[in-house]
Amino acid sequence: MVNRSPLYEIQNKLGAKFTEFAGFQMPIQYSSIKDEHLTVRKAVGLFDVSHMSNVWITGIDAMNLLNLCTVADVPKYGKNQSQYTVILRENGTVIDDTIFMNLGDKYMIIPNAGMSSIVTKWLNDKAKEFNLNAKAEDVSRDFVILAVQGPRSRDTLQKLTKIDMNDVKFFGCQYGEIANVECIISHTGYTGELGFELQITPSKKAEIVFNKILEAGKEFGIKPIGLGARDTLRLEKYFILAGNEFEGGRTPLEATLSWLIHWDHEFIGKEAILKQKEKGDYERLTCLECVDKGIPRHGCEIQKDGKRVGVVTSGTLSPCLNKGIAIGYVKRDLREPGNLLYIKIRDNPVKSKVVKPPFVPKDWAFKN
Amino acid sequence: MGDEVRDDLKYTNSHEWLKLLGENAKIGITYHAQSQLTDIVFVELPQIGKELKKGDELCVVESVKSVSEIYAPISGKIVNVNKKLEDAPEIINKNPYDDGWLVEIKIKDKSEINSLLDAESYKKII
Repeated sequence: MVNRSPLYEIQNKLGAKFTEFAGFQMPIQYSSIKDEHLTVRKAVGLFDVSHMSNVWITGIDAMNLLNLCTVADVPKYGKNQSQYTVILRENGTVIDDTIFMNLGDKYMIIPNAGMSSIVTKWLNDKAKEFNLNAKAEDVSRDFVILAVQGPRSRDTLQKLTKIDMNDVKFFGCQYGEIANVECIISHTGYTGELGFELQITPSKKAEIVFNKILEAGKEFGIKPIGLGARDTLRLEKYFILAGNEFEGGRTPLEATLSWLIHWDHEFIGKEAILKQKEKGDYERLTCLECVDKGIPRHGCEIQKDGKRVGVVTSGTLSPCLNKGIAIGYVKRDLREPGNLLYIKIRDNPVKSKVVKPPFVPKDWAFKN
Repeated sequence: MGDEVRDDLKYTNSHEWLKLLGENAKIGITYHAQSQLTDIVFVELPQIGKELKKGDELCVVESVKSVSEIYAPISGKIVNVNKKLEDAPEIINKNPYDDGWLVEIKIKDKSEINSLLDAESYKKII
């Protein structure tokens, strides 16, 4: 079954081309991916990301359940704070990456598209197993998620709310009204730009908010943005896409997410990744920039001296750099910045070099 | 756009066009094809001298999110490729029928042209 966003009709009218992603028919692009990409880097863009999931975590042990099931130091994040984290299996591999938001009376997590039932079941099973008074409830279908991203995102939303948007700090989250519609506002995103995300329920009210944001952002050059640009924007900033980068079972150490791990607490998967850490000899996610012409894609082989040394998990043409960029897993000794590797694109090994993330620095828009 | 389909060209179901130039033919992708692909960002051209059969993969055209194989509308030998596209693939978006041609082919069997679509028939499938 293919789900449609409640905003399908209005996106269709705006000229969206649609694609199916994890069982959802979502806009892949409106005008052009390049144009939408640069609009977000330089001005502001509006995304519908309703394919992402919404799960409430409630009960007196909600915090303890999240603390057990993620690598984060959950008690550290007080009311109106959120954090990006990963949920692990006992063997240390990632089930999903997610944001959790502490909303005071309960938590909301945002698992990936198509992951809501798996994550919800996992959390409820663990609550039972560890005798915790907490419950996960999948409410994905009740929410529309909008992302307003780009240097003018704050200015755009400020026109639609009484909240001082400067008070919504980086990774802050709170209830509030946008265009007189109650929603959860968070200073989060997947583009590497200043940005906010809105969780809106009931979803039929999202159409009002969507239209009002487009209207308010007009003076800043706002455009609706599809999932095509969302993917190129995140890859330039070295943000992980779970379906690609965790495919086949990867640990947070391999995915270079060790900065997320609060080692000083007990969590599922800890023992396994501790062992891996001590051993040290594991593949790590690595950034490659093409020196020669070519566009790496998911699944391309990474080679050295004609031999396979890894595989590209995500690749694209970077609209900002106008070069092929890729991330993929290789052994530690090949990750030195400047090291030359080859990415096999169709039959051609395309010369590429290891670079430090992100591919596109924070001040790119000011310099270009 | 007035030039979405041109009367003096032949077409394929897979949205290539062919322009007869005596014993040779120029080949490209149609206005419709480039508008579906949007933002063409890379073209992998074949080697000059390569011989192709009708329906073989001729070259690859990539947009930011997609990789599209372009097929030879007829059999023949590649005698020229549009080198400009290596540095400026966006020419295909701007001008798919003139500056945005892909390759020139020396036709092996002229009778194959009869199997291609004329402008009227092509208009019906887009």
